[in-house]
Amino acid sequence: MPPRLDTLPKGYQLPPLAFELSPEWAREYVAAVDDGAIGALDGEFVPPMAVVALGARALFEGAALPPGAVHLGQEIEFVRPLRRGERLTASARVVSRGERQGWVLMGIEMKVEDQGGLPVMTGRTTLTMPAGGEREA
Amino acid sequence: MTLDVGTELTPVVKELTQEKINRYARAGGDGNPLHTDPEFAARTQFGGTIAHGLLVLAYLSEMMTAAFGQAWLSGGRLKVRFKAPARPGDTVSAVGRVVRAEGGRMVCSVECRNQRDELLISGEAEVAA
Repeated sequence: MPPRLDTLPKGYQLPPLAFELSPEWAREYVAAVDDGAIGALDGEFVPPMAVVALGARALFEGAALPPGAVHLGQEIEFVRPLRRGERLTASARVVSRGERQGWVLMGIEMKVEDQGGLPVMTGRTTLTMPAGGEREA
Repeated sequence: MTLDVGTELTPVVKELTQEKINRYARAGGDGNPLHTDPEFAARTQFGGTIAHGLLVLAYLSEMMTAAFGQAWLSGGRLKVRFKAPARPGDTVSAVGRVVRAEGGRMVCSVECRNQRDELLISGEAEVAA
């Protein structure tokens, strides 16, 4: 059972998660976001936001997201195009944490690397969530 | 691709439905009930389910991909704030405009609005010129 995200301290490193941009998953993602542009470039390219979604999935596997958590901000840099079938590793770290009136404000840095250890995406997510994980938003 | 300062990017317009939100939740592995459980979401400050921020952000990314092609995938940067939630039934428009060129990069002001012209997301995106 992973720890709840709202309980993690500043500096906490979430466990890295390795994954594959499988063709099946890529098709599922493109359908889910209804992306009509990526296919015009190269049939093998994956929408860059797909990698952000997988980075977020890595985050949720390493820490349970409290019900009612809300996404406040996002910074992203895409380093290079990604193709279906690539194997990647996502990692995330809590870089800021504050608490006020029962709500936690948290900054999380995400990084996704290829098999050679080179970054393919970096980003920072800002979230707010109920402290204690019990309260509803 | 280089665009002149002032150029409006071709908007991306999407109809949001609960089914689309559910589908994104499955693909993205984000089971936050705020997005998928109407009973839970009805008891929150939002009064109902809302779309994932990353789903709406994907519409902005699609606009940038259409405008700048591979330059967006290779070195594209995005910095946004989520201002208001997008809800099932909303028509979301992702729009953008080239606002300046600096350091060999084109900087675009980008935003998403709903059919009531409410601002959902605002920020900047940039690509190599």
